[in-house]
Amino acid sequence: MAVQAATLTQDDRLLELLDMEKMTLSSKGREAQGPAERWMRYLGFPGGIGVFLLLYYLPAGAGLSGAAQAGAACFALALVWWVTEPFPTYVTSLALMFLLLVTRTAAPKAIMDVLGMEVIWLNLLAFILSAMLVKTRLAKRMALGLVVRFGHKASWALMAFLLIQMVLAPLIPATAARCVMTLPLMLVVAAIYGSTEEAPNAFGKNLMLLNLICISVLSSMTMTGSSANLIAVGLIQSMGGHRIYYMDWVRVGAPIAIATTLVMWILGQKLLFRIPEAGQVPRLAGGLDVVRKKYSEMGPLSAGERKALVIFGLVLFLWMTDVFHMRWFGVEITAPFAALLGAVIVLFPRWGVLQWAEADIPWHLLIFSAGAYAGGLALDDTGAAEWAVRMLFGGINLKALPFGVAFTFIMAVMMYSHLLTTSKTVRTMIMIPIIITLSKAIGWDPVSLALPAALCIDWVVGLPISGKPNVVLFSTNQYSVMDNFKYGMLTCTIGLLILVGSAATWFHWLGITPAFWAVPQ
Amino acid sequence: MKRSALAIGLLLFASAASAAEIRSYAVRIEAHPDGSGSVSAVVQIESATPGAIAIPLGFATVADLRMIEGPAGTVLSASAANGQSLVQAVVPGGAPAALTIAFAFTTKDVFLPVAPASGEKSTLPEGSRVLRHAVMNSQPAPIRSYKAEAVFPEGLRAHAVREALPRLRKAEAGPRVLLDDIDGKTGARLQVDRLLQGESASMQVELVPQGRSVAWLIAGLVLSLAYLVYFRDLVARRGQ
Repeated sequence: MAVQAATLTQDDRLLELLDMEKMTLSSKGREAQGPAERWMRYLGFPGGIGVFLLLYYLPAGAGLSGAAQAGAACFALALVWWVTEPFPTYVTSLALMFLLLVTRTAAPKAIMDVLGMEVIWLNLLAFILSAMLVKTRLAKRMALGLVVRFGHKASWALMAFLLIQMVLAPLIPATAARCVMTLPLMLVVAAIYGSTEEAPNAFGKNLMLLNLICISVLSSMTMTGSSANLIAVGLIQSMGGHRIYYMDWVRVGAPIAIATTLVMWILGQKLLFRIPEAGQVPRLAGGLDVVRKKYSEMGPLSAGERKALVIFGLVLFLWMTDVFHMRWFGVEITAPFAALLGAVIVLFPRWGVLQWAEADIPWHLLIFSAGAYAGGLALDDTGAAEWAVRMLFGGINLKALPFGVAFTFIMAVMMYSHLLTTSKTVRTMIMIPIIITLSKAIGWDPVSLALPAALCIDWVVGLPISGKPNVVLFSTNQYSVMDNFKYGMLTCTIGLLILVGSAATWFHWLGITPAFWAVPQ
Repeated sequence: MKRSALAIGLLLFASAASAAEIRSYAVRIEAHPDGSGSVSAVVQIESATPGAIAIPLGFATVADLRMIEGPAGTVLSASAANGQSLVQAVVPGGAPAALTIAFAFTTKDVFLPVAPASGEKSTLPEGSRVLRHAVMNSQPAPIRSYKAEAVFPEGLRAHAVREALPRLRKAEAGPRVLLDDIDGKTGARLQVDRLLQGESASMQVELVPQGRSVAWLIAGLVLSLAYLVYFRDLVARRGQ
C-alpha cells in the first residue's frame, strides 16, 4: 500500500513536471549521492586550498610569471571545488573572481567585464527564448510528439536527440543556442522516463550527457560549426600555407564526430550508466499510452504556440543565415543580437507571450559561467596556458619519434587540454600556432597535424565548466561533476582512438598524413 | 608636439645618414638593482657604404659607449633626445658592404619611475619595479630582425608582462615577449621579425621580490581547519 502510495506520488510529480508550469533551473545544490560523495565534499574544501597553496608556493621556472603562477593556483582551487562541490558552483565562481583580484592575477575591470561578454548575453537571451517554449507549452508538444514517435524504447528516444543535434549542428553555430532550444525537450523527456532533479536516473544521465557531447562534438563536422574552427582554418592558411576548403574539413571531421557520438550512444547506456530493461519504457503509470493521451489532449496549436513558433523561426532563420546578413542588411546580426530581437518580441506588451517575471532567468548559472570565464581568461592573459603547452611539447623530443607516435601525443594534448581552459577560441589561438610551428620544425606538413588537431577544438566535454552547453546542462542537476568527467573522458578517448586509427588509414589515403610509421627526414 | 618633432628629426637624420639596412639587431640588457643597466648590442648591417650609419637605440641615456667589434677605423658616437637615442657609426672607406658592429654602454634608466606623485594612489605594491625597453626604427629601411634580452636583477622575478609591442601579426606565433632563463638568470626576451620605419618594439615587465608572503599559507590553513571543524556534520553518521 505504502509502495502504491509512493508510486502515485511519483506519478503525480511526473505529471506536474510534464505540465512544465513550475519548470525552473534550480539554484539549489544537488544532494550528495552516498557517503563517498559526502566525504568528497567535506575534503574538497581543504583539498582545493591545499592545491592552491602548493601551486602558489612552488618554485616557478623562469618562464612563468608570478601572475601566471597565481592564476594557475586560483584556477586549480576552483577546479577542485567545482568537481567536489563543497558548496554551490556559483559560490566557487564568486570566490575565484575575488582570488583573481587579490592575487593580482587580473585587473578588476577585466574580471567584472566578463559578465558583459557575448557568451553571457547569449545565455541570458537564449533562456528567455527557452522560457517562451516552455510557457506556451510548445516544448511539451514537441517532447510528447518525439516520445510518441521514438519512445517505444528509451534507447530510441536517445537516438532521436542524437539525430536532432546532428541536424542542428551545421545550421546553428552557437552551441549555447542549440543547447537552450533543446533543453526544454530534454527536461520533459527525462521526466517521462522518470528522471527528475530530485531523483535522477540512468536515463536522465544518458540523455543530458549524450546531448552535451552531441552539441559539442558534432560542431566539428563542419568548419563553420564554431567560430574557433574558422580561426583554426585561418591560422592553417596564414601560418601553414594551406587553404582548407569546406569539404576538406567535412570529409575528415564529420565521420569522426558521427562515429564517436554513435559509439557513446551505445557505451553510455550499456557501460557507464546502464539503463535497466524496466527503464526502457516511459515511467508514467500507463506507459506510452498515457503519453499518447497527453499528446492528443493538447489539441491543435494554440495562439501562443503559433506565436512562439514564428518568433523562434525568425531567430533560427537569423542564426542560420548570418553569412548573408551583411549583404541583406549591411550589418551582421550576430547570434546574441538575433536572440535579443527574439526577446524583444517575446516580452513585447500585448503582442508578446511572456512577462519578464515568467522568463525565469537562472542568474546563478550566469554567475557560474562568468567565474569560469574569468578564470580561463586569466590563464590565457597571464600566459599560464601557453607556458604549460610549451613545457609539455618541449619536454619530448618529437623529432626522434615516428609520425604516428608524435601524432598521437599531439592529438592527446589537444583533446584533453580543454580541461584547463574555458574558451575554445583561446585554446585554438594558443595550440594551433604552436602545432604548426612544431610540425614545421619536425619536418611534417603542417596540415598533417594542424587539421586533425583543429577537429578536436569543439570537443569540450570533460567538465561542467568546459563549455557553455556544459554549464546549462549541469544546472539540470541530473548528473554530477564526476558523471560528466567519466562520460566526457570516455568520449575524448574514443574520439582520440578513432582519430589515430584514421591517421593510420584513410587520412593517409587522402594524402593528409604521411605513413603512420614514417620518421622525420 | 615637442616629442613628435624630435621623432621626425631623428627619422630625417637617419634617412639622410645612409641607405644601410640592418639585417639583425640583438640587444642584451643586464638590469642592476639601482635601476641602471649594462647593455651590449650586436648589429649586422647590409649594403653599408663608407660614412655615417645610424643605429636606433631604446634608451634615454647612454654612457661609456665602446666598440667591441667592427671594421677597423669605425668611430661610434651616441646622441639621445626624448627617450630615444641613436648610435652613429662612421664607417671608413674600404669597409665591406656586409658588416657587423658590436658595442656596449651603460644606461641609467632601465626601470620606469613608479613612485606615485603626492596625493595620487599607488598602482603597484611596495617593492615592485617596472622594467621597460622600447625602440623605434628611425632607419628608412626595415630592421629585419630585432631581439632584446633583459636579465632581471637578483632577488626580483617577473610578475606580469604589461606591454608587448607590436601586436602579433597574423602569421606570427607568439608570444612577443617570452619570460625565459637567460644564462642561468631569469629574464625576458622581446623578438620582432620585421620592424618597419617609424614602428616601435617595446616590452614592459613588472618585477616583484622573489619571496611570496606567508599570509596565504596562514589564511589557507586557518580556513581549512575551521571548515573541517564546523562542517564535520557533512560526514557524520545518521543519528549523530
